[in-house]
Amino acid sequence: MSNKNISPELWEKVEVHASRSEEITRKSLTYWQDAWRRLKQNKLSMLGLALIIIMIMFASFGSMFTEWDYSSQTLKNANLPPKMDVVKLPNDVYGFVHREYTLFEVDETGHIIDRLEPTNSMLDIMQNKRRIYEINGEEVVLDFSFISDAKKEGKIAEKGFELTVNGEELKTVKSLWNKTYLFGSDDLGRDLFARVRYGATISLLIALVATLVQFFVGVFYGAIAGYAGGSVDMIMMRIVDVIATVPLLLYVILLMVVIGPGLKTIILAMGIIYWVGMARIVRGEILSLKEQEFVMAAKTLGASTWRIIARHLVPNALGPIIVSLAMMIPSAIFTEAFLSFIGLGVPAPMASWGTLANDAVKALRSYPFQLLWPSLAISITVLSFNFFGDGLRNALDPKLRR
Amino acid sequence: MKEKIIEVNNLQTSFYTHLGEVQAVRGVSFNVAKGEVLGIVGESGSGKSVTSMSIMKLVSYPGKIKSGEILFRGEDLAKKTDKEMLSVRGDKISMIFQDPMTSLNPVYTIGNQIIEAIIRHQNVGKDEAREKAIEMLKLVGIPSPEERIDNYPHEFSGGMRQRAMIAIALSCEPDLLIADEPTTALDVTIQAQIMELLKELKNKVDTSIILITHDLGVVADTCDKIIVMYGGLVMERGSAQEIFYTPKHPYTMGLMKSIPRLDAGDDGRLIPIPGTPPDLIKPPTGCPFSARCPYAMKICTQEMPGYTKFGEGNEAACWLLHKDAPEVEVDTGVVRGDVNAK
Amino acid sequence: MQNKEVLLEVKGLKKYFPIKHGFLGRKTKYVKAVDGIDFKVYKGETLGLVGESGCGKSTTGRTIIRLYDVTEGEVIFDGTDISDLSQRELLPFRKKMQMIFQDPYASLNTRMTVADIIGEPLDIHGIASGEARKNRINELLKTVGLTTDHASRYPHEFSGGQRQRIGIARALAVNPEFIICDEPISALDVSIQAQVVNMLDDLQKNMGLTYLFIAHDLSMVKYISDRIAVMYLGKIVEIGEADRLYNHPEHPYTQALLSAVPIPDPDLTRELAKDRVILEGDVPSPLNPPSGCRFRTRCQYAKPICSEEMPELQDIGGEHQVACHFTGKLIK
Repeated sequence: MSNKNISPELWEKVEVHASRSEEITRKSLTYWQDAWRRLKQNKLSMLGLALIIIMIMFASFGSMFTEWDYSSQTLKNANLPPKMDVVKLPNDVYGFVHREYTLFEVDETGHIIDRLEPTNSMLDIMQNKRRIYEINGEEVVLDFSFISDAKKEGKIAEKGFELTVNGEELKTVKSLWNKTYLFGSDDLGRDLFARVRYGATISLLIALVATLVQFFVGVFYGAIAGYAGGSVDMIMMRIVDVIATVPLLLYVILLMVVIGPGLKTIILAMGIIYWVGMARIVRGEILSLKEQEFVMAAKTLGASTWRIIARHLVPNALGPIIVSLAMMIPSAIFTEAFLSFIGLGVPAPMASWGTLANDAVKALRSYPFQLLWPSLAISITVLSFNFFGDGLRNALDPKLRR
Repeated sequence: MKEKIIEVNNLQTSFYTHLGEVQAVRGVSFNVAKGEVLGIVGESGSGKSVTSMSIMKLVSYPGKIKSGEILFRGEDLAKKTDKEMLSVRGDKISMIFQDPMTSLNPVYTIGNQIIEAIIRHQNVGKDEAREKAIEMLKLVGIPSPEERIDNYPHEFSGGMRQRAMIAIALSCEPDLLIADEPTTALDVTIQAQIMELLKELKNKVDTSIILITHDLGVVADTCDKIIVMYGGLVMERGSAQEIFYTPKHPYTMGLMKSIPRLDAGDDGRLIPIPGTPPDLIKPPTGCPFSARCPYAMKICTQEMPGYTKFGEGNEAACWLLHKDAPEVEVDTGVVRGDVNAK
Repeated sequence: MQNKEVLLEVKGLKKYFPIKHGFLGRKTKYVKAVDGIDFKVYKGETLGLVGESGCGKSTTGRTIIRLYDVTEGEVIFDGTDISDLSQRELLPFRKKMQMIFQDPYASLNTRMTVADIIGEPLDIHGIASGEARKNRINELLKTVGLTTDHASRYPHEFSGGQRQRIGIARALAVNPEFIICDEPISALDVSIQAQVVNMLDDLQKNMGLTYLFIAHDLSMVKYISDRIAVMYLGKIVEIGEADRLYNHPEHPYTQALLSAVPIPDPDLTRELAKDRVILEGDVPSPLNPPSGCRFRTRCQYAKPICSEEMPELQDIGGEHQVACHFTGKLIK
């Protein structure tokens, strides 16, 4: 020991306060605060959460950005793309040539003004493959004979059409985003933006139903089976097994026969099957939790079965329950999209992402944008729920707590 | 004096958590000679287990050895890479853990696990390794090892599993065996068997052993040298006799006074150490024990005392031992049983 | 001791756990965890119950407090046989009989605040609510050496010893007469064990509590108990006054158990270790216990009679009972 001198007053005795070492100096963090802290560290899952919130906002407030309803049709505006290459027409208005070789007037911000009517006869249009318009006294000719001409000669056409004013070709001046139909329009001239938004509400509704059914039926059923144990547990879980063996598709088809196709059928079918996984998870959790000493302590205090399940068992199983909820949502959304895609989903004119994708497939080569939006929406939603669920699992798993 | 197998100098290991740096080991030094048993005594959070993990370099994220030397036969393990450690771990230093239920792999037979260890560390064939494995099981006192070698861990009882763990640890003839609370999970009668086995190993094979435990009885029974740790620091070191019969540090004394002795009469009352061990995220300034020490002085809360030497390998860190310290009546709590009574 | 009032009497208590086999769960085998034990606990005393893991000591405690259903036998508490009461009928007894658990990390619900944990028994039994409940919780916290500041915190913020004290406060909330302490200190640090033990001791003196103290640490049991019962494989092999049992153990198992405990005194313990009785092998499975005396497979004195007849507990004077065919006839 060093022999340095210590000032005498330092040798004074201090009283030991047992409580001094019992003070808790660390900041108090509850289980949920700690989980949130770890969730925040996971960038990918925060991205997922942000996208989920954006998707919910889109579904709730997206209708403010479009004048159209999901079912309102404007047949002459069918299949308009979201992005348009425009030319300058003689009357100083922009013009857009549709893939169907019709000419639309567009204002400088990208709003569709109207489809122009050709002045030549139907016969002339069909025979000479051209539409003639008269704008501001000048003759505008939309010639779309190139492809059929080239075909006759066995060649490949260099371009699909030519737009001329008094023989002089009009060149594309710029690209404009379609402000009337933000995502373009479908083959009946319905706004795709409105329809994708409507699909989002359907998907989120499905997600909500799946969650509620899982939470209320699955958790309740699993908790009772797990807590009762013995033969009650055995019988309850065999029932679950029977329900789970029948595929969802069969339920949907059977229900369609009974109550007809529609959203109700899908929701009912999912309600029948979606709590099964949750019931199994909760039962497993409860089985291991009920052997823990804090449950025994509650029993020796005289706590009722209901109190033990509600206050002790379920709150402690909440971590795995929430993770499983988050992981099951994308599966529910995807299942609904799949069922709608194969035609077992919501009937027209209602739109879900699955039916939108199915409609778009027919004209995929001409109007690929029609498939882009629903599939993008499905991918983003499913992915972001998966990211979020994965982060939740890491944040709530007690084994990973530090 | 015998050859020093391992020498640890000023070892510091910390864990970097979101709450801040947890200084688990704050400068620990000790050495173990050949055939010697060193006991590391301390409570949970004293840093005794982290010390052993640091020697094996098994401290995993977010933990890190901050500084210090771990000289094993003159080589500094602290500087070795993970790959280089592979030839040290198991081969030269083996470790047995507290929980024999989880330290064996349940999907392989006991024999498989011993044979694998032998083949990995020694240049022998499969049949020879099996012979050796049976020999090892016999050495650790497993009855009919020829049959039990093909059993799975779940067919072994707790005590037998711990023996099997020791057999695995010893199968490579390590120079140093680190036993981290090897008997804590076992019953007293099984504990007696395992301690007997460790003593035999020391006497017959001349293995050096570091025994980490909180059980003062086990330490008194088996160890030659003892270090007493608290708050990541060595409070006192000495031979078993020095620690038990002439303790210098109030913490050592406090430990003695807080445990009942089986051979004591009915009258004595335990004198607990008040309070709880310090939070190593914010270790108190000064002596970590000052908050619970009945003799604490102002200086104790301000500065960590240096070590006062009493003899070869016997020293303690306490301000009461300073030359200027005031005289204080100290209850050492020493009870010396009559050896000739039985 | 003879004149003392009996608070708890256990008569021929058995607890078998069925092991299910086959598809339909036919019950074929039983784990005989507790296989016919008798003992009394007197008012105001501490009875220590020791034994190795798997001997049935914890099962005994849990069966007495009716966490498990009784397979056979009687549990007479304060004159009433509670062995076949329904959980509803048991409710009044839950106020008189409480339990302290082994693992301070598992015995508190981590999703509840300390105040809610201690307040739960008050809610269940309708003892106090509102302001009275709050006062009672603070009073209980003070009893176990914690402060009011601790009430709003969660269990994970406390150390093992503090948690164990919260567990004690919860047990005390109903003002019980009898507390079963199921290894309350074995998960705690050495320096903390004495705190908890001394607290239990003080509480006993101040509140007139009776303890059944279950543990495997013989030195601690001897320190805290007035009498000790030694269990082996579902049976009590010896029961008697603590000092007498330590100084004159009669059953070979008790002898082996006592000699296996190392004493924190290097010279003495090394001297004692020279003639330490090291038991061979392990405790047999309670699924298939040995015939006759349960201990005969590891007993150095075993004779043919030990495998044929089960020795009964016999009084050898001074409240000391031993279950061995050779009581008083063993040559050491």
